[in-house]
Amino acid sequence: MDFDFSDDQVQLGDAVRKWVDKGYTFERRRATEKTGGFDRAAWNELAELGLCGLYVPEADGGLGMGPVEGMVVMEELGRGIVLEPLAQSLIAGGVLAGYADAATKAAWLPKIASGEALVVLAYQERAARYKLDVCEAKATQAPGGYVLNATKSVVPVGDQADAFIVPAKINSQLALFLVERQSAGVTTRGYGTQDGSRAAEVSLKNAPATLITQDGLTALEHAVDIGIAAACAEAVGVMDKTMAITAEYLNTRKQFGVVISSFQALRHRAADMKMQLELARSMSYYASLKLNAPAPERRAALARAKYQLGTSMRLVGQQAVQLHGGIGVTEEYIVSHYFKKLTQLEMTFGDTLHHLGEVSARMQDTAGVFA
Amino acid sequence: MDLAFTPEEQQFREDIRAWVGANLPAEIAHKVHNALHLTRDDMQRWAKILGKKGWLGHGWPKEFGGPGWNSVQKHLFEEECALAGAPRVVPFGPVMVAPVIMAFGSPEQQKRFLPGIASGEVWWSQGYSEPGSGSDLASVKCRAERQGNTYLVNGQKTWTTLGQYGEWIFCLVRTSTEGKPQTGISFLLIDMKSPGVTVRPIVLLDGEAEVNEVFFDNVVVPAENLIGEENKGWTYAKHLLSHERTNIADVNRAKRELERLKRIAKTEGLWDDTRFRDEIAKVEVEVVALEMMVLRVLAAEKSGKNSLDIAGLLKIRGSEIQQRYSELMMLAAGPFALPLIREAMEAGWQGDAAAGALGGFPGGVVANAPLASTYFNMRKTTIYGGSNEVQRNIVSQVVLG
Repeated sequence: MDFDFSDDQVQLGDAVRKWVDKGYTFERRRATEKTGGFDRAAWNELAELGLCGLYVPEADGGLGMGPVEGMVVMEELGRGIVLEPLAQSLIAGGVLAGYADAATKAAWLPKIASGEALVVLAYQERAARYKLDVCEAKATQAPGGYVLNATKSVVPVGDQADAFIVPAKINSQLALFLVERQSAGVTTRGYGTQDGSRAAEVSLKNAPATLITQDGLTALEHAVDIGIAAACAEAVGVMDKTMAITAEYLNTRKQFGVVISSFQALRHRAADMKMQLELARSMSYYASLKLNAPAPERRAALARAKYQLGTSMRLVGQQAVQLHGGIGVTEEYIVSHYFKKLTQLEMTFGDTLHHLGEVSARMQDTAGVFA
Repeated sequence: MDLAFTPEEQQFREDIRAWVGANLPAEIAHKVHNALHLTRDDMQRWAKILGKKGWLGHGWPKEFGGPGWNSVQKHLFEEECALAGAPRVVPFGPVMVAPVIMAFGSPEQQKRFLPGIASGEVWWSQGYSEPGSGSDLASVKCRAERQGNTYLVNGQKTWTTLGQYGEWIFCLVRTSTEGKPQTGISFLLIDMKSPGVTVRPIVLLDGEAEVNEVFFDNVVVPAENLIGEENKGWTYAKHLLSHERTNIADVNRAKRELERLKRIAKTEGLWDDTRFRDEIAKVEVEVVALEMMVLRVLAAEKSGKNSLDIAGLLKIRGSEIQQRYSELMMLAAGPFALPLIREAMEAGWQGDAAAGALGGFPGGVVANAPLASTYFNMRKTTIYGGSNEVQRNIVSQVVLG
């Protein structure tokens, strides 16, 4: 049992933090938000740091790193509320490396690692909400592969991504496919999301698709769990910075002739935020350290983690706004952007109530970190 | 970064589990698993079993006869004991005063007091709180006047847990009124059989006399019972309280009680009730998150790194969880948590034979008998050991300076 980071992990985190501090200023983020919520140049910078290939095996041109490195990176990106969805590359790298055949790996993994290909998970449907086994998308066999018919919603950067990882049913069996955005039959409609990033509705009409795996539910659950662990780590970074911004404000802002950090009501609120931050950090560690566990153990752990993180994000985000007073609800001031990021992260890969249901359904007689 | 215990640590756990399984009396474990009334004899019987093995002072270093375990080994030991249904070790001797005697006592004091604590023979009590000093401990007024080779002690302590069984009591006493309140406090060991010591039970809201008032009326205490230097007691007290706050989180007991909550929910037909089950699920996540925080603190202690800004959170969270699971247990029993039948909280209660079919516990499940009492009793957890509001002040110092 050891919760220290290795020197390499510390260096990795430092490198990402340096890029966020110097290369991803609030002004740059604001400009990106105004021009649609995704900046390919920033994406390429992430790729140059090697981050897009974090989960791509070294043989396929990636860094071949694991969940702890993923956590370190996502936490730093969270600190800068980076709009570009690196979690999608972690998912794509992890899922293709784990489930695709050699030809598909060879065709896509090097491009994912280099940043040339932005591959995103397109799994959400109107009827499914956050459930993974509810899927109306249909796949049918066609010469040379499959064609897909589906409508997928709120797909990250869906109108600019190069390819989608798409769950669809072959008869009643859920399978996972790769679909290129430029293919015939693919139409998208992009829009901004609440936190300033970008998503799209994606329609597939007899769109040609490459089968990744027939064991689609297993792979999709794994994909979403990679996403949950990334969201948890990202959220810790967002909350950590949110706390720091709020603490600084409380120690600067004066009312009734004194700094407002002298008021016990506000100090206790700050203590409550610190509690939630540390519970969240603990459960983010837990999520990443369980990401390679056998599927049932992994699923249970990730649901617990996302429930805790969701609870923490809501309290920290809402209280950060409250403690700032009027300035907290302005668009101009930075804290509202952190709050919106936390809100969107809470509702990504299953919200808090959804994961409470998951925990509840999986409860056993005994429970703890190791069971 | 790695979540797993080492193979040696896992073997250590197995060894402890086997030993506890073989040595913990089944009737005591039964009482603990069902929150039935524990007598002084029950508690001392287990203490002496541990003492004989050299594990009552399980946190003690080897030089004082302890096992010399590191923080992780201590945690594993405590967890195995808790899960097996061992009574919580009464901490005042082995966990609280002993480390103070080791760190600040003279060799003579160590020789005199530590063996009785290690064996479980001598029952110690804690004399910290006073009627006028709750969370503001530095305001103690109980006076000790130096008169030649003795101190003359006058004053009152209160909230003395299980003080009715106490043979010795360690006290914070005021030896000077000069300067800051913290500077005039001394740490004194007092034989509770001394003339002038009176113990009076305080009946709490659950009807039990778990705590006491202790009065000192011209009690003569030999000066050799002073720990360390006069007027330096505050330093020693803080040393002790830092132990208490980690101990108080009690995540191992929370894991055991979560199992019990699930058993109760099943018995009461609530396991498939989504509304109730989700409340249990919330506690489950809270317990796992608390355990992760505890493991982070333990790992940091083991590797020698400081992580005190997390340790302060453990008391708040641990106590909130204790209150929540006891509340849910009571709510699970519903109307059958209301009957107050004290005898039904004793092991082996057979009911009132004369009343025939109506003579058992109302509703027929005797396990419901102590649930409301436990709920009432648990209100103490967010008050003692420095109230949670005081803890929040401490945490806010970390955040805001």
